[in-house]
Amino acid sequence: MAKILGIDLGTTFSATAIIENGEPKIIENKEGARTTPSVVALTKNQERLVGVTAKRQQITNPQNTISSIKRLVGRRFSDKEVQNDKKLLPYELKEANDGGIEVKMGDKWHKPAEISAMILQKLKQDAEEKIGEKITQAVITCPAYFDDSQRKATKIAGEIAGLDVKMVLNEPTAAALTYGLTKTKGQQILVYDFGGGTFDVSILDVTKDPDTVEVIGVGGDTHLGGDDFDQKIMNWIIEEFKKDQGIDLSKDQLALQRIKESAEKAKIELSTTLETEINIPFVTSDSSGPKHLFLKLSRAQFQNLVKEYIEKSIKLVQETLKTAKLKPKDIEEIVLVGGQTRTPAIQEAVKNLFGKEGNKSINPDEVVAMGAAIQAGIMGGDAKEVLLLDATPLSLGIETLGSVNTVLIAKNTIYPVNKTQIFSTAAESQTSVEVHVLQGERPMASDNKTLGRFILDGIPSAPRGVPQIEVSFDIDSNGILNVSAKDKATGKSQSIRIEGSIGMSKDEIEKMKKEAQIHEQDDKKKKELIEAKNLADNLIYSWEKTNKDAGDKIDENLKKQVQEKIDELKKVKDKDNIEEIKSKTNDLSQIIQKAGADLYKKTSEQKPKEEKKDAKDAEEGEYKEKK
Amino acid sequence: MRCMNDKKDKEKDKEQDKENKEQEYLENWKRERASFLNYKKQEAERVSELMKFANQGLILDILDILDNIYIAEKKLPKDLEKNEWVKGILNIKNQILEFLKNQRVEQIDCLKKDFDPNFHESVEMAESDSKSGTIIKEFKKGYILNSKVIRPARVKIAK
Repeated sequence: MAKILGIDLGTTFSATAIIENGEPKIIENKEGARTTPSVVALTKNQERLVGVTAKRQQITNPQNTISSIKRLVGRRFSDKEVQNDKKLLPYELKEANDGGIEVKMGDKWHKPAEISAMILQKLKQDAEEKIGEKITQAVITCPAYFDDSQRKATKIAGEIAGLDVKMVLNEPTAAALTYGLTKTKGQQILVYDFGGGTFDVSILDVTKDPDTVEVIGVGGDTHLGGDDFDQKIMNWIIEEFKKDQGIDLSKDQLALQRIKESAEKAKIELSTTLETEINIPFVTSDSSGPKHLFLKLSRAQFQNLVKEYIEKSIKLVQETLKTAKLKPKDIEEIVLVGGQTRTPAIQEAVKNLFGKEGNKSINPDEVVAMGAAIQAGIMGGDAKEVLLLDATPLSLGIETLGSVNTVLIAKNTIYPVNKTQIFSTAAESQTSVEVHVLQGERPMASDNKTLGRFILDGIPSAPRGVPQIEVSFDIDSNGILNVSAKDKATGKSQSIRIEGSIGMSKDEIEKMKKEAQIHEQDDKKKKELIEAKNLADNLIYSWEKTNKDAGDKIDENLKKQVQEKIDELKKVKDKDNIEEIKSKTNDLSQIIQKAGADLYKKTSEQKPKEEKKDAKDAEEGEYKEKK
Repeated sequence: MRCMNDKKDKEKDKEQDKENKEQEYLENWKRERASFLNYKKQEAERVSELMKFANQGLILDILDILDNIYIAEKKLPKDLEKNEWVKGILNIKNQILEFLKNQRVEQIDCLKKDFDPNFHESVEMAESDSKSGTIIKEFKKGYILNSKVIRPARVKIAK
């Protein structure tokens, strides 16, 4: 089936995505970038440029380079917004015969929809090249506040570009779709979209049916964005340098360019670090010689600089809530969109207002295009084709030596699935093992939920660690768990079928996950202690075995020393001091190594005997002894 | 007799249904298997592409440092040009250039060439004896990594 392209046609940047194997995927453009500047230009040679190439000649060809066309699409020339924007835009605009707008590029006048179409055409061509298929259909996004005429113009732009526009989708709805938030009926979602040049707030209501989304509030500022943040940092750098050196850099174009780059970099770095260095050597020079700019900007200072913008955005959110007759507590989910929302101070401000974190795990520059692709997938039937498979909500495992929960199938594993592991016995001549099936994230068996138990007996008597017992976990497509254990020597097996184990209630799963989180540190310590005890046990056991088999070849003095260390270890082994157990185990291990070396030396002096083959292929994890 | 025939027909239909279902399941399973194998192939391609440009971010950061070395070199007072100590410092620049070469990073040659937005970014325009659109000054060098422009050269062009 032909693919439907999801397009986020943005004011400064655009992005495209498509559904592949049931998942939305961003398509890189011809230049290898995941976003394309929404800029169109006509060069002196009458060559049309779209995207990054148009942007690269914008400074020297401002009159024939059209940017921010989205601000004009579907509007009337007399609109207040258009009259305001007209002063800021470097290219010429005029009123069209029908009261709309026309922009001049080269000698020709174009309707804004035509310019948008040029951007869409590039996005379409690049996507076709990338996926190797012809694209004829698309879902294009637009802000929630777009009126009928603006939506119609967006659709027309698509049609001019050779696309059958299946839907003009609201940007906030697209973002909510990407986070899968439109499934819960009656849910109110607030989308906080802080882009490069615009700030939008939208409140969505998932009405009667899931996937039916109604916009119940819009607000924002069409001239508030990340660029303001950059400008603030630039001004600060210029001011600081002036204070320090008495030189004004604001008139020096070359220095300004370097300051701008440093400001952008500093802003990005401060999203992850608490302090950044702004280092511009040879920024300028005077009669005394070259001057260097070196400043440190802390996250706190930066937050202080941009405080007014963040506060303004929060005020706009509050106003939008008020218009929709809602309070922050009425909002179930918040979605953060736009590159600027990577700023920790913004995330913090949103959290303070709502008392909960906003959804931000998906790249905020790509979340809208991905939502458009998801909508396209739903319309194209891609979603129906995808076989929905579930994942295990919690880990599944068995209890092993020292009451440890050994996980065989980790949580979030998609089923049907089969996992097999080989275990062995924990005691000498152990003829039966108990398989205790567990569900949960805690490392100690007793802290998890027991799903079932069974006993495999009839194992031939053998030293511990020798028998090989294959334990297999199988979850079928209905979520039914089958656990089987098989003694590889005799072929004897036993199994248990556990129905309904996977499908726990959401609350139960959350409770178990939370408990695991709370006890993480304690559990880790407990597990380490058990492991230390097991190690001590194993060491003592292996010595006793060696001593029994070849004790006559070991120096008596060494044997005495080993026994002393064993006695010391046994004294602390059953207590809970992990450091003591580790240190005594280490002491014992060292003396055993000496004894081992002595044994090898004496054996090699004698005629080498035929070596006994040791069948120790089994896994480290051993069964606890059946009581 | 008719009743018998009806029963037979029904059984035949049932059999046919079963066969159709079997075919459908087998087909779906094959499709799923194929799509998994295709996905694996795509992932392998994606990873190899990723590897090709995995160093891009790091290289871009090093280029920023190199830019400053170029600026320092340009501002070097005449009387220091022959200074051995300065020469040693400037050799660090050559070391970085050698490193970039080994990483398959190429410099974009631009002076006196026609402006091409695929490789250059124009930030200034000035009257000049050169043909309109010719690059007359380079403010910042541009670079190509594995045939992809990772940073355009920032230039001044003739009006």
